[in-house]
Parts: sequence; structure tokens; C-alpha cells
Amino acid sequence: MTPAPIPVIAGEALAKTFRLSHRTVHAVQGVSLAVHAGEALGIVGESGCGKTTTARLLLRLEEPSAGRIRFLGDDITGRHGIALLHYRARAQLVFQNPFDALNPRFTIRRALTEPLRNFGIPRDEHAARIDAVMQRVRLLPAAAWLDRRPHELSGGQLQRVVLARALLPGPRLIVADEPVSMLDVSVRAGILNLLRAARDELGLAAIYISHDLALIRYVCERTAVMYLGRIVEEGATADLIAAPLHPYTKALIAAVPVPHVAQDRAALPILGSLGEAAPAAAGCAFRPRCPYAMPRCGAETPELRAAGPRRRVACHLAA
Amino acid sequence: MTLLSVHDLHVHYLTSQGTVRAVDGADLDVPAGSIVGLVGESGCGKSTFGRALMGVLPSTARVAGGSILFEGRDLVALPERERRPLRWRRMAFVPQTAMNALDPVQRLRTQMLEVLCQRGGLSRTAALAKAEALFRMVGLDPRVLHDYPHQFSGGMRQRASIALALALEPALVIADEPVTALDVIVQRQVLDVLRDLQNRLNLAMILVTHDMAVVAYACDRVAVMYAGRVVESGPVAAVLEAPLHPYTMGLSHAFPDLRDTAAVLVPIDGAPPSLLTPPSGCRFAERCPFAEQACHAQPPPLIEVAPDHLAACWRSGAAAELRVRAMRAETWAP
Repeated sequence: MTPAPIPVIAGEALAKTFRLSHRTVHAVQGVSLAVHAGEALGIVGESGCGKTTTARLLLRLEEPSAGRIRFLGDDITGRHGIALLHYRARAQLVFQNPFDALNPRFTIRRALTEPLRNFGIPRDEHAARIDAVMQRVRLLPAAAWLDRRPHELSGGQLQRVVLARALLPGPRLIVADEPVSMLDVSVRAGILNLLRAARDELGLAAIYISHDLALIRYVCERTAVMYLGRIVEEGATADLIAAPLHPYTKALIAAVPVPHVAQDRAALPILGSLGEAAPAAAGCAFRPRCPYAMPRCGAETPELRAAGPRRRVACHLAA
Repeated sequence: MTLLSVHDLHVHYLTSQGTVRAVDGADLDVPAGSIVGLVGESGCGKSTFGRALMGVLPSTARVAGGSILFEGRDLVALPERERRPLRWRRMAFVPQTAMNALDPVQRLRTQMLEVLCQRGGLSRTAALAKAEALFRMVGLDPRVLHDYPHQFSGGMRQRASIALALALEPALVIADEPVTALDVIVQRQVLDVLRDLQNRLNLAMILVTHDMAVVAYACDRVAVMYAGRVVESGPVAAVLEAPLHPYTMGLSHAFPDLRDTAAVLVPIDGAPPSLLTPPSGCRFAERCPFAEQACHAQPPPLIEVAPDHLAACWRSGAAAELRVRAMRAETWAP
């Protein structure tokens, strides 16, 4: 039997607490997840569920309050200085808004040269690396694009540059936070296809953060659903959508509109909204909005437990 | 019965680089009591179109031609003094970010009372009762009338701004991307409120959006805009199931669908044309895999191709064949 491969990135019992002047926000509470090479994990949930904070913790852009982060098996939680810089080259982020992600004064060439210089890549390799990456994101011929500035490019073209910049240092992990939500519908597919191709051809581990399950289904084999700082369900995306186990996942799937005439307009199996529901003092955090809540849900916080092959769920009902 | 009929509307922005023809000959009919989706990409003129109907364009924009027939009167020809009483009483507006519609330093109650007493002529007591009824109608607890907008979640704010729009019982509500900034569950709840109001109040609505799935869920009819023009319009079922315009055909394979498993998404190559110097022929011709010589020469008119189903395409006669070809990814390859 071959040993299980080491995941590219793993978070172990990650937690992040923000102390604000009047209150304390437990943004992430004990999240554990792992992504292997060539695999894409989607993290879905409403605004404020902690999905972006989880990604920022994994990227070491935010210091965890508790928990460890492992990259190819090495604990990188306490890394700083040069060691952290090495990690930065290996774990890259694709931003949501390409219009803000590029310095308007820099030419595309300079925007792409900067990470190469920061990560100490020899000067004589720059031109070849930039050519290769422009080929990968299909901005061709490269010479026609490199001397332009961001305002001369459309949103879809800018997002290709942002993707190119992320790929330049040779990362093993790509995190894409709502990578197409700022783009026009007709060009979104182009960016998603490029991300998919880059992951497949380079064997990257990828994490997509989105509130759009349809998009996640298109790019991720595996999906984790977050609710108020916790993963409430995780599994193969197709299984999770076909047969959701957690009541929150059920509501999330029922709420996604589909571009067909025949669709389910039945009332959603969820009560109120995140902002209106008072946070549960004890027990399951989803209980105030759950149509199936039982007395046990108020007393005991459900653990994230295995529920079938590669499936985890945190719900007393699914036990 | 047609409540609103827009014909050949032109709206121009005057900029330092020249005249931007944001809306350039757009047509739209809104039957009484129906929800019409106005769908298109950013920069296609859909928001400008909505603002022109309300008569709330920014100072750099002007209506340069066409007519807006609403309840028997042409709003374009109407002087501002006669148009003002119609605004909010007969047609109201729900903006994308509800924070922009609500005054951050006033309690919701104060804002509702201002509209109901000063514009609606109600007494304070009657106005309070009405405000509570309106809040209940959009699914808000009347007690939150005492709160400030910052105490609300995004969905609550959007509900409050819908209540505000309904205060004077308008015949038409223009909602500009009302659910775009909301999470999917809240989005669904707000769309359900809109549909419920349409049924109960026989309200007509224009729902401006970029999301075809939102149109499929909430609208009776749809008009697809591209580069300042309506290129296709008709009942939602007809437009979704048998699109006549290649742009609409392309859009339907361009974004992911939760129910569709194996599909490979196909983007439409290129970008919409500049509205400073729009092309002389069909505006989509440059990106259209089916374009012929004639398409580049003359702009196609919006005509009835099938019963109640309009399209502006020189090749709409061959739409059935084009639909089959549009299903294949290689058709759209650059």
C-alpha cells in the first residue's frame, strides 16, 4: 500500500479572533482542511462566514490565534523573514478585483517583473519567464501587451495579467478569492478555463473562495461549506450538490437560481438571515435558522464527523 | 395592456473625449403587472436606460432622442415641472446598493414618514400605520422602523428600500441590480418579496441585472441589451429556450449552471465595442461567429421574428440552425 501523499497545504484546527473596540469576532473557529497537488477545493458560504479569513490564514497574510499551517508537510505557522518570503513565492493569491490589483502607473511588464525581482529570480531569466506566462494566459503576442498600462485593458484582460503575475514565481498553491465576480458574464468562462488549465498542467493545489456554488461546481472536485467560522459540511462537489447532508447546505443549494424556465420556487428551507438570527449561545450555530432543530441542537455543538467516503458533516441529524 | 413603451431611446454622455452613446436606439415594452428583466454586461447601457426612465440622469447625460410613453404621456417631451409629480408616485426606483437610497443619519421611520406625509399627504398617524404595513409587506418587523440603516444587514436594507419605493403605490418600480450585492440565500428571499408584491399589488417592474439566472427565476419577460441597444426581447421561456440573437445564444454557455454537470464553458471572445465610436453595422458582428458581410454594413432593426419574440439580427431567419451551431464550443473559438 502506498502511503497517503502529503497535502500541499493543510490547516489544522485554525482559529482567528479579531478583537474590536466593542466586541470580539470569532471569524474562524477550528477549521481543518487539506488540499493535494492537482486538486481544487472550493470554500462556499455567506459573507461573514470566515471563508476569506481562512484563506488569508493559510497564506500567512493573517496570524492565526490558534492552530497550525503545514506546507508540503512543513509547519510554517511561525515562519518569518526570508523563510516566509520563500513561502510567499510558493503560495500565491488571485485577487477578486483586477481593477484594484494592479498599480495603474506600472506597465504590464513592470507589474510582472516586480514579483520576479522580489523573489530573487535572476535577471536573465525574466524575459523568458514572462513570455512563457503570457502564453499560458493567452495574452498574445506578448509584446503587444507588455508596454500597456492597466487602463488600456478590459477587466478580463486585467484578470489574465493578475493570474500571470500569480503564476510567475512558480507557486504550488493558488488561492482565488471570487476570481470572476467583478468580470462580465461573457468573459468569466475564459478566466475559469485558464485557472483550470493552469492547475491541471502545473499540478497546482487550488483553493477557490466563492458564494457561487455553480462556479465552484465548475472548477472544484471538492467543496467545504462554511457557516459562522466553521466547516459544516465537506465532500466531493458532485455528491454534496446531489445529496446535501447539512440543512445549511440544503438551503444554499435550493437558493441558487438556474438559467432555466422550469425551476423550484418553493420556499427556502431556512429561517431569517445571518444578520437577523441571534447567535446561538451554546450548541449548533445554525440552530436559530434551522427548520429541523431539535432540543439536542441547543445543548451540544455538533462535531465535524466522517459521513461516508471523503465526506464530513457537522449535524446531529446526519449522525 | 402596455404600461410603458420606450421607442428608439438615445442617451448621450458628454465627455472630454467626445459623445458616449450609452443608449443608442433602445426599444422596450412593459405590460402592466409584469416583471421585465433588462439584462446585459457592464457598460451596455442598462443602468443608464433605467435612470433615463426615472429622469434621474447625471448632469453630464442627456436624452438625445426617442420617446418614453408612460400611462399615455411621453415623458421625454414633458417639462420637469410636470414630470416631478410622477416620480415616486407613479414610478419608483430601487438602487443597487440600498445604503445609497437610505439616509444614514435618519431612523427608517423618519425617512418613511417624510415620503408618506410630505409626498403622500397622509397624516402622521396614518403614515405611521402605513409605514408599518409596508415593512410587514416586505417581510420586516415593524419594530425596526426605529433603527438606523447601519443596524441593518444587506438584505434588510434592500427590503427597506423596496418598502420606501412602494410607499406611494407606484404602477412601475425600476430596480437596478437589486440583488447583486447580496448573498445567494438573501438574494432569493428578496426576489421572492418582489414576486409576491407583483402578485398582490399588480405591480409592473423593470429588473436591471447582469444575471440570466435571476431573470429566469423572477421575470415574466426579458430584454437583452448589448452596446446601447436591445438586441432581443420576449417572454422569458422563449428567449431562454429558443434564443434568436447569437449574443443571447453565446451567453447561455458562458456561465456555470448548478444543474449542468459536464458542460465546458465557452466564453464569447473579445469585448463590447466602444460607445464613443460604435461600429456602423451590427454591434455584435465583431464577436459573432455567424457574422456575414451584410452584418458589418447596416445595423439590424429590432423586429418580431416569432410571435411576441423580437430580435435585431440579420440572420434571425436562420436562428434554428445557428442555435445548433452555437451549442458547439469550436464555434466560439477565437
